[in-house]
Amino acid sequence: MNLTLPRFFWSEYRKRRKKASLITFALFWGTLSILLLMAFGQGMSTQSHVAFSGLGETLMMVYGGQTSLAFEGLPKGRPISLYPEDVDYLKDRIPEILRIAPEAYTYLQVSGGGKEINRTVHGTTAEFALMRTQVPQLGGRFLNADDVDKGRKVAFIGWKVASDLFGPGVDAVGKQIVINRIPFTVVGVLMKKIQDSMYNGPDADQVYLPFYAYRQIDNRRRINQIHIQPRDASQSKLIESRLRILLGRKYRFDPEDPYALSLWNTIEDYKQGEAIFKGIEMFLGIIGALTLLIGAVGVTNLMYAVAKERTREIGIKLAIGARRRVIVQQFFLETMFVFAKGTFWGFLTAFNIVNLVRLAPINYDSFGIEAYLLRPELSLQIFVVYMIILGVLVFLSGIFPALRASRSNPIESLRYE
Amino acid sequence: MIELKGIKKVYRMGSQSLEALRGIDVTIAKGEFVSIMGPSGSGKSTLMNIIGCLDTPTDGRYLLDNDEVAGLSFDQLAAVRNRKLGFVFQNFNLLPYATAWENIELPMLFDGKSGRKRKQRVKELLDAVGLYDWRDHRPAELSGGQQQRIALARALANDPPILLADEPTGNLDSKSGEEIMAILTDLWKEGRTIVMVTHNDHIAAVSQRVIRLFDGQVV
Repeated sequence: MNLTLPRFFWSEYRKRRKKASLITFALFWGTLSILLLMAFGQGMSTQSHVAFSGLGETLMMVYGGQTSLAFEGLPKGRPISLYPEDVDYLKDRIPEILRIAPEAYTYLQVSGGGKEINRTVHGTTAEFALMRTQVPQLGGRFLNADDVDKGRKVAFIGWKVASDLFGPGVDAVGKQIVINRIPFTVVGVLMKKIQDSMYNGPDADQVYLPFYAYRQIDNRRRINQIHIQPRDASQSKLIESRLRILLGRKYRFDPEDPYALSLWNTIEDYKQGEAIFKGIEMFLGIIGALTLLIGAVGVTNLMYAVAKERTREIGIKLAIGARRRVIVQQFFLETMFVFAKGTFWGFLTAFNIVNLVRLAPINYDSFGIEAYLLRPELSLQIFVVYMIILGVLVFLSGIFPALRASRSNPIESLRYE
Repeated sequence: MIELKGIKKVYRMGSQSLEALRGIDVTIAKGEFVSIMGPSGSGKSTLMNIIGCLDTPTDGRYLLDNDEVAGLSFDQLAAVRNRKLGFVFQNFNLLPYATAWENIELPMLFDGKSGRKRKQRVKELLDAVGLYDWRDHRPAELSGGQQQRIALARALANDPPILLADEPTGNLDSKSGEEIMAILTDLWKEGRTIVMVTHNDHIAAVSQRVIRLFDGQVV
C-alpha cells in the first residue's frame, strides 16, 4: 500500500490542526453536552422507576372502610373490617391473583442492643417480601412460610431500626430484639433502597414479624390491610371489581359503595407516573435534538468556512497537478479525523463524568433530589444515533465544499481571496 | 511544441458575454523563449492559462506535442500540468503553511514519486536556486524574491519541458527580478521552452520572440 499521500495528508493536517481545533472543540463540546443531558435525563427516569418500585411492583392494597350506602335493609355508616381469613377467601375465588398477604400493624416499643425505640411493628406472611420489595442485606433473609406457620419468634427489620438499636455498621442478624416482653431473633435487615411511596413511614423504619407471632403481641382479630399482586398488571381493575363483589357479599355492602372498602391501586399510580417519565424523556429528547441541531449548524458553518478558506489552497494544488480525488480524499480524511477526535474526547469525558458522579453516595435516610441526580446513565444507543446524525451532517458539510472546489476551474480557485 | 489554432474564449455572465480571446493562432517551437505582451484586458493571462491547461478554450484547437488538449478530462489535464508544464505565478501561489522544502516537493507527491527521489530532487532544486539553508522556512518568512525562487523550483520539480511564467517579476524589486530572469534564461539555454507574460519591454527583450495581444487578438 502506498502511504505517501496519507502521510502527506497527515503532515498537512498537523500544520493546520490549530485551525481545526475550533471544529474539534465544537464537536467535543456538542458530544459532551448532549451525552450528559441525555445521561442525566435517563438516570432521573430510571431512579424515578426505582423509587416508585421501592414500595412494591404491580401492587394493590385493600383496606377496610365505612359504608356510605344502605344495603339490604342495613343502614349506611357501618364499619367494614378485614380479617385474616379474607386472604384465602379472595385467593380461592379470584384466579387472577398471583400473590396475596395480610398485614396488621401497631406502634410499639422495640428494645435491643441496650436501647429502646418506638416503631411500627407489622405482622405478615412470606409473600409480602416479593410484593413489597423487601430485599434482605447479605447474610440475612425475610420471613419464610415456616416462620409464619410455626409462629417463630423471628423478625425482619429496616436498616434504620438496625442502626438505631445496634449502631451503624453492626450486623444485626442473630441479635435479639424485645417487643412487649417477647424476644425475637433478627433474621434479616432490609437492604437500603429509595422509596417515594409509603404508609406508616419508610420501610427502613419498620419491624416485620411472622403473622401468627405478631398475633401474640396484638390480639385484635381484624387486620389493617391486604396486599394483592395480580398475575398481570392489566388485570388490576378486574380484580378490584371482583373483590368488591366478593367482600360485599361476605360483609353485606353494596359493591358500588365507594367507601365500604378503600383501595390503593399502585398499578394505576404507576401508569400516571409512567406518563410523567415518558413526558420527561420526550422533553429531554427534544432538548437533545435541538442542541444537536444547533451544534450541527455551528459545525457545518465552521466546516464550510474552512472549506471556503481553503479554496485558494485547492486552486494551487490543482494548478500544480493534483488530481480531483486527491483533493476530495484529503478533505474527507481530515473531516472524519476531526469528527472522530472531537466526538471521541466528548464521549470519553462524558463517560468519566457519568462514572464519577455515580460514585457519589446517595443518602438513603433523607432521600433528597440527589437520589435522582446522582445516578446518570450513559446510553450507547443515544451515542450511536448521535454519531450517525452528526457524522452525516459533518460529512456533508465538509465534503460538498471540497467536491465543489475540486470541480472548480483552478484559475477561479486561485483568484479566490 | 505548442500549437494554438483559432482559440476563442468567451466568458458569460448572465445575459452578458465577454470575448477574451477572438481566434488566436500561435505556434511555439520546442526550446523557444517567447514573451506575450499587451495592455491590461488584452487576453494575455487568459491565453497563458489555456496554454497552461488551467483553463479550456471555448473554441479552437490546442495541440501540445501534437496531442489534442481540448478533449482531455479534468484529471488528464491535471496530469499534463503535473508532468509537462511548470507554472510560475506573479503572486507566487505557495502554500502558506508549508515549508520551502514541502512546497517544492508537492508536484512530485502528486506524481507519486518515491520519497528517495523526492528528497534528492528537492535538494538539487534548493541548491540550484540558492535557498537550501532556507528549506525549513515558510513563505511568510521569505522575501518576495526568495518566494519566487521557491515557486520556480516547484515549477521544475517534475522536470517539465515547458515553463510558463505569468509576470514572474511583477511583484519583485528590480534586483530580485533580474535574478529570476537570469534563472529563466539559464533554463531556456538548457533547452526548456519558456513562455512568459510581461508588461515590461526590458524583460521581454530577454526572450527570442514577442507575441503582442490587443483586444483578444494577436497583432
